[in-house]
Parts: sequence; structure tokens; C-alpha cells
Amino acid sequence: MHLIATFHTHFGAMSFQKKIERLGRNAGMMPVPRALSASCGVCVRFEGPFEPSMATDDLEAVYEDAPNGYTLLFEQPEN
Amino acid sequence: MKNKQTLLMVLTGLIIGAISVVLVQCGNPGNMGFCIACFLRDTAGALGLHRADTVQYARPEIIGLVLGACIMAIAGKEFKVRGGSSPVTRFVLGFFVMVGALMFLGCPLRMVLRIAGGDLNAIVGLVGFAAGILAGVLFLKKGFSLKKSQPQSKVEGALMPVMSIVVLILLVAVPSLLLFSESGPGSMRAPMWLALAAGLVVGALAQKTRLCMVGGIRDAVLFKDFHLLLGFVAIIVAALVGNLIVGQFHLGFVIDAETTQPIAHTDGVWNFIGMALTGLGSVMLGGCPLRQLILAGSGQSDSAVAVLGMVVGAAFCHNFSLASSTAGPTLNGKIAVILGLVVCTVIGLLNRQKAE
Repeated sequence: MHLIATFHTHFGAMSFQKKIERLGRNAGMMPVPRALSASCGVCVRFEGPFEPSMATDDLEAVYEDAPNGYTLLFEQPEN
Repeated sequence: MKNKQTLLMVLTGLIIGAISVVLVQCGNPGNMGFCIACFLRDTAGALGLHRADTVQYARPEIIGLVLGACIMAIAGKEFKVRGGSSPVTRFVLGFFVMVGALMFLGCPLRMVLRIAGGDLNAIVGLVGFAAGILAGVLFLKKGFSLKKSQPQSKVEGALMPVMSIVVLILLVAVPSLLLFSESGPGSMRAPMWLALAAGLVVGALAQKTRLCMVGGIRDAVLFKDFHLLLGFVAIIVAALVGNLIVGQFHLGFVIDAETTQPIAHTDGVWNFIGMALTGLGSVMLGGCPLRQLILAGSGQSDSAVAVLGMVVGAAFCHNFSLASSTAGPTLNGKIAVILGLVVCTVIGLLNRQKAE
């Protein structure tokens, strides 16, 4: 299962990518798909699964990247 | 889906390029169908924020860009009000993005339009712009961040579009309150309603496609992704063809021995350094001046603050002789640009975050 995580900052995407790679999974940064959009314009595509405990501060949301579209899996609550 | 988005991006670029040629044919200064830096500067002049009487006009294109983006964002349910990400830093970055642009005499969008008009000085500017973006990308890779924005009240996001409407009302109903240039670039203007319509169309398209001059080069460098760059190229192609058709293509650093390219100078070193500053500051802001304007219309108050920084920067440029002219850069301008590079570097170094 491939997932896409969106972020509020470029730095947030960068640190999440490193975190996933430390778990021994593939993760790559890329421009965020237009359908998802995000504040910072970049996202991380990575191998699932995703657990909410993996969320970092700047994470916005996580979607499943399926052939028929994106499904929202997780949204970081905000004040 | 991806092909559709690519097509929309190319179409957007082609439309912007074509509209730019039309606006110049209808009265705007040469190679200045659109220029976010010049038009914000003109608007600052119209409001009396600077005293350069040749560059004063509340440009309807700017009003249209903000409102077009606002309408499209609302229609697409993307009007999300956020802000609070280092606003004063963003103001300062916006200020120096303007200082760099007025050293070169144009924002990144006008740089592209100048290239399409055959102005080779803008190629030098493009190389500087790319160098500035590369420097900005280095800061990003080292953990540069202005921290995340937070949700804000609707009022916060609505204020920039409302301010644009107020300026439009002044322009239409009580123009006597505004200043209008009687000579120089500020006196050269396409008909008001045409300029407003052009701004609305381009603002809406730029919001839909996320067109960004800085993002194009940044994504190409960081991710080998050329989607945003396609819009950049399409603008050049359409404006180039348009300029060839209407006889406004003049290849060279000068048009002839006596005539410079329209509103440009030939000092390559400072064209390079000016645009390098604009590129660096824009990467730190997360987008070029056009993108800041579009985001400001879409509810992002951080971008609105960056735009206000640009407006104040433009006023300083003309109040303190920082802006170049066709005669070339000024000493004050050179000092300000170097200062801008130092300030951006310090901001870049002091805002590095460490990964969790």
C-alpha cells in the first residue's frame, strides 16, 4: 500500500521522509498532487502502513494513493 | 488526470503570454503586460507611499489577480485561512524580494516576458534568478523553515481581497484621491476594465494551476519534476509568438545604438545579483511574487504580509533611490541588494530546524 503524507512546511516533509527511511521503508519527496494540495507544495510518498504515532508536528494529512484516487486516512488535529 | 493538469498548465501559460502581449498593445509599457513588482510599485505610488511621479497608478491587474484567485479559491472550496508563520520575517523577505526585482527592473514574471521580447539582459537575470533559487534550495536542504502556519479567523483571510476592492472603488469612483503619472511607465496603461479582466483571468488560472516562477525551477532541481516549469515555458512561447506577430520582438541587449530595451538596463552584474536576491527571498517565502499575490487572495495571511512587505519595499526603493532606471543601477540600490543578500542569508542560517 502506497501512502501520501502532506505537510505544512518543507522541513516537515524532509524530516518525515528521514523518519520513514529509518524504519527501513521506501519514502520519497515530490510535489504534492494538485487534488490534495498543501501549504508547502511538497509531500512524501511512502510504503504503508501508517500509525498515528508516526505523525510529526508539521504533518497535515495522510492519504492512500490508490489507482482510483486518494482516500483520506489521517488528518492531524489543529487548534 | 495528470495529462489534464499538464494541459491546463500549458494552456494557462499560453493564455498569460498572449494576454501580456495584448495588454502591451493596448497601452501597458513594453514587455510589461504583467509585472508584479512594477505594478505593486505603481500602486504604492498611486497611494502616495513614494514620490516618484512617473510610476504612480493603481494597477487594475493587481486588483484582478487577487480577486480572481479569491473567487477561484472560494469556488473550489480552497479558501483556507491560515497565517502566523513568522510574519515579520516574511515582511522583510518580501521587502528584499522587491529590492532585488527593482534592481533588475521586473519580477520573475516580467523577466520571462522580457525574454519573450528578445531582451537578452533578462537571460542574465534568469541565470541570477536560478542561482538564487539554488542557494534557497540549499537552505531548505539544511532544514530552513519559517515554522508552520495556524488556522486564522475568516476576517484575517478576507482582508487582502477587501483591500483590493477598496482600491478598485477608489480607482473607479473617487480617482481624485489617487495619484496618476502623467509621464513615464505609470502613464502607460491598458484600458482599466481590460486590465482588470486580464488580472481576474490570470489570477483564477494561477490559483487553479499553482503556477509559480520559483516553484518551477525549485521542483526541477529538487525532484526533477517539470510540471510548473511547463507554465513558465508556455508563457515565453505565447509571448514570443505574439511579439513576433505584432513586431515587438527586438533581440539584443539594446534595441539599437540609442535605444535600450523597454524599461531595462544593460548592467549584467547587477541584473544577475538583483534577480539572485529575488530568487533566494522567494524560495524562502515559498513562492514568487505572483504566487504570493495569488495565495494572499486565497486566504493565506502570511502571503498577504509578504505582499505588504513588497509594497513597502517598493516605496523605499523610490524614496531612497534604490530602484534602477534605464540608465542603470544606483549606488544606493547596489548597497541595498548586498544588504538584502546578507539579511536573507542570516535569516536562512538562524531559522534552521533539527529533525525529530
